[in-house]
Amino acid sequence: MQILLDLFYVLIFPGFLFCAVVGLLLAGIDRKIVARMQKRMGPPIVQPFYDFFKLLGKETIIPHAASRGVFIAAPLLGLVSLVVMALFIPVFGFTAFSGVADLIVILYLLTIPAAAIIVGGAASGSPYAGVGISREMVAIVAYELPLIIVLLTVGKKAALDGGITFSFTEIQAYQAEFGSMLSHWSMIPAAVAMLLVIPSEVGSHPFDVAEAETEICEGPLVEYSGSLLGIYKLNHAIKMFILTALFAALFLGGAGSGILIVDVLLLLLICTVVTILSMSLPHAISARLKVEKMFKFYWTLVTVLAVISLVLVWMGF
Amino acid sequence: MFKKIIDNSMAKSPWIYHINTGSCNGCDIELVSVITPRYDAERMGFKLTGTPRHADIVVVSGPVTSQSKERLVRTLAQVPEPRVIVSLGSCPRPCNVFKGSYSVEGPLDKFCEVDVSVAGCTPKPEAIIDGLALAAQILKEKRRQK
Repeated sequence: MQILLDLFYVLIFPGFLFCAVVGLLLAGIDRKIVARMQKRMGPPIVQPFYDFFKLLGKETIIPHAASRGVFIAAPLLGLVSLVVMALFIPVFGFTAFSGVADLIVILYLLTIPAAAIIVGGAASGSPYAGVGISREMVAIVAYELPLIIVLLTVGKKAALDGGITFSFTEIQAYQAEFGSMLSHWSMIPAAVAMLLVIPSEVGSHPFDVAEAETEICEGPLVEYSGSLLGIYKLNHAIKMFILTALFAALFLGGAGSGILIVDVLLLLLICTVVTILSMSLPHAISARLKVEKMFKFYWTLVTVLAVISLVLVWMGF
Repeated sequence: MFKKIIDNSMAKSPWIYHINTGSCNGCDIELVSVITPRYDAERMGFKLTGTPRHADIVVVSGPVTSQSKERLVRTLAQVPEPRVIVSLGSCPRPCNVFKGSYSVEGPLDKFCEVDVSVAGCTPKPEAIIDGLALAAQILKEKRRQK
């Protein structure tokens, strides 16, 4: 019975199917909103579903210069780690799995999809992919620092005994008792920093230095085609959902209503709003940053915002 | 049922790769104008891709010159099946005013099968969108026959 429940968790509800559908819908909403901001009609909201199913029906070419096993395994590795991450992120009161150090697990798992892009690109044996993976590495170094500081800040704020907690259960319990993190003024800079980390973690437009399709032909994905490319597109969509849900859990959590369906709908609403704020808006209003400009942006402005919150929380505000 | 979903998605998400084989740049500008807010081909799912591996529709503009012939053949070989090839403007098929030139290798039909031909020098954006929509339908048919 327990095995069946675990399978249900992994394959259907917080796991694969739910993530894929919600992620692709969020990607569609993002494209539609960007189009409306540019005074276009835009594709239908289900367009990412069409893209994904079309890619499943295309021929998958494995280049002669590629190392076959790694080339096929890399996108699947990214997908698996994203699905595992979905099991740890709470929907208000509900989590599929919980432990004492969920945040650490999330932090490690978050780098795996990016590492999968790097490994897949390196295995494809294309010079464009080589440029792309070096840019992806710079991007990881750029956004990991502020992300870790934000997680530390939330952990410090939520710990009632004066230490730091890395457990989502405790963070949700704190928010249920004292109101969501965003309602404490000292957490607002950290929330803004997190909103700025999300687009580069997802690889959304102003920070998509690794997959710059106009300069380096989609970077690491240059040799991918057919269903493998489809899995990368799915990874991108799921990452949008995971990170917005992580934002919701860290800053807008709480006890919820107690009814799971209402909680899920509330989470989807929050995810949509966060997607529009942190991904669609910068996409529509700004051009792509240069690699070194992006690095500087994250290590100055965003890191400073996160550190301000950390210091305020440490001082007891 | 799954096969039917894939077949229908083929016509709704055609990604375009554009090759310039010695065009005067007129048709290229008109192709780009198709994805601007005024004509917005993205509402039908069209998207310009940066690499032939992601492409469903290959748009060729310009007479095939001797310099670009080899590149054209190699690029077309990298596009995964099913694919549709569209010739854009008057140049690729009858070679337009460049016919008989020492550097023109001549009509595109010699190197590949052309599925849709959009004529005009340069064609209007409306005509290009019409041709691309037809190409998307042909893509679906090709997938169904496979």
